[in-house]
Amino acid sequence: MSTTSDASPVEAGAAPSRPRPSGREPSSGRPRQGWRDTVAALPWIGPALLLIFGVVLFPAIVMFINSTRDISISGIDKGSVGLDNYVEVFSFPYFWPIFVRTIVWVVVVVGATVVISLGLAQILNKAFPGRRIVRLAVIIPWAASVVMTTMVVYYGLEPYFGIINTFLVDVGLVDTPEGYGWTRNPDTAFAWSIVVAVFVSLPFTTYTILAGLQTVPGEVLEAAKMDGAGPARTYFGVVLPQLRSALAVAVLINIINVFNSLPILKVMTGSIPGYDADTIMTLIFKYIQNQHKVDVASALSVVAFIIVIVIVAVYVRVVKPMKEV
Amino acid sequence: MKKSLRLGAAVALAATASLTLASCGFGGGNGGGDDAAGKTTLDLLVPSYSDNTQGLWEDVISGFEEENPDITVNLEVQSWDNLESVIATKIQGGEAPDIYNGGPFAGFAADGLLYPAEEVVSADTYSDFQESFLANAEVEGTAYALPFIASARALFVNNALLEQAGVTAPPTNWDELLDAATKVSALGGGIAGYGMPLGSEEAQAEAAVWLWGGGGTFGDESEITIDDPSNLPGAEQIKKMIDAGATQADPGSTDRSPLMDIFVQGQIGMQVGLPPTVGQIEENNPELDYSIVPIPTQDGGPFTLGVMDQLMAFQNDGDKQEAITAFLDYFYSADVYVPWVQAEGFLPVTKSGAEQLSGEEALAPFLEVLPDAQFYPSTNPKWSAADGAFKALFGQLQTKPAQDVLTEIQAQVDAG
Repeated sequence: MSTTSDASPVEAGAAPSRPRPSGREPSSGRPRQGWRDTVAALPWIGPALLLIFGVVLFPAIVMFINSTRDISISGIDKGSVGLDNYVEVFSFPYFWPIFVRTIVWVVVVVGATVVISLGLAQILNKAFPGRRIVRLAVIIPWAASVVMTTMVVYYGLEPYFGIINTFLVDVGLVDTPEGYGWTRNPDTAFAWSIVVAVFVSLPFTTYTILAGLQTVPGEVLEAAKMDGAGPARTYFGVVLPQLRSALAVAVLINIINVFNSLPILKVMTGSIPGYDADTIMTLIFKYIQNQHKVDVASALSVVAFIIVIVIVAVYVRVVKPMKEV
Repeated sequence: MKKSLRLGAAVALAATASLTLASCGFGGGNGGGDDAAGKTTLDLLVPSYSDNTQGLWEDVISGFEEENPDITVNLEVQSWDNLESVIATKIQGGEAPDIYNGGPFAGFAADGLLYPAEEVVSADTYSDFQESFLANAEVEGTAYALPFIASARALFVNNALLEQAGVTAPPTNWDELLDAATKVSALGGGIAGYGMPLGSEEAQAEAAVWLWGGGGTFGDESEITIDDPSNLPGAEQIKKMIDAGATQADPGSTDRSPLMDIFVQGQIGMQVGLPPTVGQIEENNPELDYSIVPIPTQDGGPFTLGVMDQLMAFQNDGDKQEAITAFLDYFYSADVYVPWVQAEGFLPVTKSGAEQLSGEEALAPFLEVLPDAQFYPSTNPKWSAADGAFKALFGQLQTKPAQDVLTEIQAQVDAG
C-alpha cells in the first residue's frame, strides 16, 4: 500500500494511503483522500469486481430470487410465491433423514481423508528410493476426472460382470454366483460412495499436509530428540501442532468440497429408488432432474448454502484452526 | 478483529464453492436467428437413440440444406438423461430450439410455446400420419406435436433356458409367467427367470407393463390416476414375482439397458424388450436362441405398451414457420424418413412408412401387437411429473407395500 504518489505533493511524507477504521486521528483530509484513492484504484480493481459480481453475486442473487418464484416445469416464471418453496423443502418427509445423512457424509469422508492423509504425508516426507514415483502415484486420482474414477468403481461393483464382484465371488466372500448388488442397495451404495470420495480427496489433502510438514524446522525435531521425546511424543507434541494451519486449509476446503459433491453419489446411488441414499446435493439434483422443480431446487440450494456456512462457522469457532501455535 | 476477518474469508470461500452448483442453470450459446445474408437458421435439439443418431441426422440435414440453400440447420444432440434439463434451461433462457425431439410435450403446449402440428407441415404430410398416433398427440382436440417414431414392447424369451427348466411353451398369462420364471431361476448359477428393471432409467415402462396388464391405467388427458384400485393387482403381482425369487436380484434398483445386456448374454429367461433389442442380439450374441412373444397379462388378453416420441416446433420469433415446414416436409418424405426409422430399429408412424416396412421380418412381431398398444397419458401436463415420480419411487416396491408406493407416487404427482 505504500504508493509513491508523486501526484500529490501536499500529502507527501504523510502516513500512507488508506485511513484505517481504527485510526485515531480522523483529520479532515483523510476520508476524502481515501475516497479519491478508491476511485483511482477502480480501473485496476474494476475487472476483479466485475468478475466477482458476474460469477459469484449474480448467480447467487438469481438463486435467491428463483427460490421465491413459482417456475413451471418447462421453465416459465409464473410469479412470486413467497416462502412456499421453503415450506415444501422442510415439509418433505425425507428431509431430516437426508439432512442427517449429509452430515454423516461430510464428517466421515473428511475425517477419514484427513487421518489417512496424515499417514501418507508422513511416508512421503521420508527420503526413500523411488519417492518421486510414489509421490506421483498419489497425485493420479486427482488428475483423473471424478466421474471416471467413480464409473470405474461402479462398473467393478456391477453384478454379473463387475471385476470387484467377480473377485469377491472367487474368494468366496459373496455366495451368489452373479455377485452382490453393492450399488443396488442404499446402505452399501452409500458406503462405497464414501470410499470413492475419500480416495479422490486424498491427493489434495496429502499434498497440503506434506507442504505443512516441510515447514517443520529440523532443529525443533532435533531438540525434541535431545529432550528424550519418543516418536509418538514427537509427533503429537511437536509435529502435529505445527501442522495446524495446513490442516485448517485442508479440512475447510474438504468440508466445502465434500458437502457440495454430487457426481460420486449421482453415479453410485443414481439407480436406487426412493430417498434412502440421498444427500442434500443429490436431492437438489432430483428436484431438477425428476420433478423439474427449479424453484424448490433453488430453495433447497439456499438452505444448503446456509448449512455449509454454519458448518464452517462452527468449525472455525470450535477448533480455532487458524490460531497461531 | 483478526478472527472475524478469517471467519469472513472462510465464509466467502464456502460461498464461492457452493455457488458453482447454482450457476449451472445458465446455458450459454447465442440464439441463432437470421444472419445478414437473409439466411434462416433452424436449431434442432434431439436426443441420442443410439450411436448412429448423430450421423443419421447429419445426413438428413446435409440433404435438406442442399435442396434449401437459404436455410441452415444447427444440430444439437443430447443424451436422454440430460435432454429434459437442457430443454428446460433453454426455454428459461429464452433460447428454445425451433424443432425439438422429445417425449412429454403437454407442459409446453399448456405454456403456449408450441405451434399446432397442422401449421408446421403441409396437408399431405399431415394426412400421412396414422390417426391413432396423431390422436395421442392431441391436447384439447389440437395436435401440438408430430408423431416421430413409435415402438412397442414384447416379451423376449430365451428358448434354451426355458427348455432346460422344463417349460414347454412361452407364458401367456401371469400365472404361467410366475411358474416359468420360478423354474428358470431354480436352475441356479446366477440365472434369473424374469428380468425386471424397476430402476430409475425406465421404471415407468416396467410399471405400465404390469399395472396395465392387470387392467390398470395411469389416467388420461385431464387426470393422472396412479393410486387407483385397478393398479393394485399389477403392483401386487410384481411383489409376488420378487418374493418368489423369480426375478434377478435387486429389481428395485436395476436399470433396463444393463439388464438387457445380461439377457443378451443368455443369463435371463425372459425380459420385456423393444424392436432395437433384435439388432442388439444380432450384433452381440447371434447364437442366442430366443423368440419374441406378446407380453403376458393377468387374463392372457393382448396388450402392449406403445411409446411414441414426438417432434415439436417452438414459436420463437414467429418468422421461422416456413423454414420449419420445409424441413419437416423434407424429413417425413418416405425416402428420408424410412431409412432413418429403419436404421434406429423403430416403427414408423406414417402410413407410407408402414407400407414400405411391412415386409420386414424382425419388425413383424411388433407391428402385429401395435393395434393393441396403449400409450402413456403424455398429453396430460402432469405426465412428466408422473414419469419422474415413477423413476424416483416405483422401485421401492421391492421393499415397501404396493399400496404405499402407489400412494407416494400419486402424492408426488399431485404436488408437482
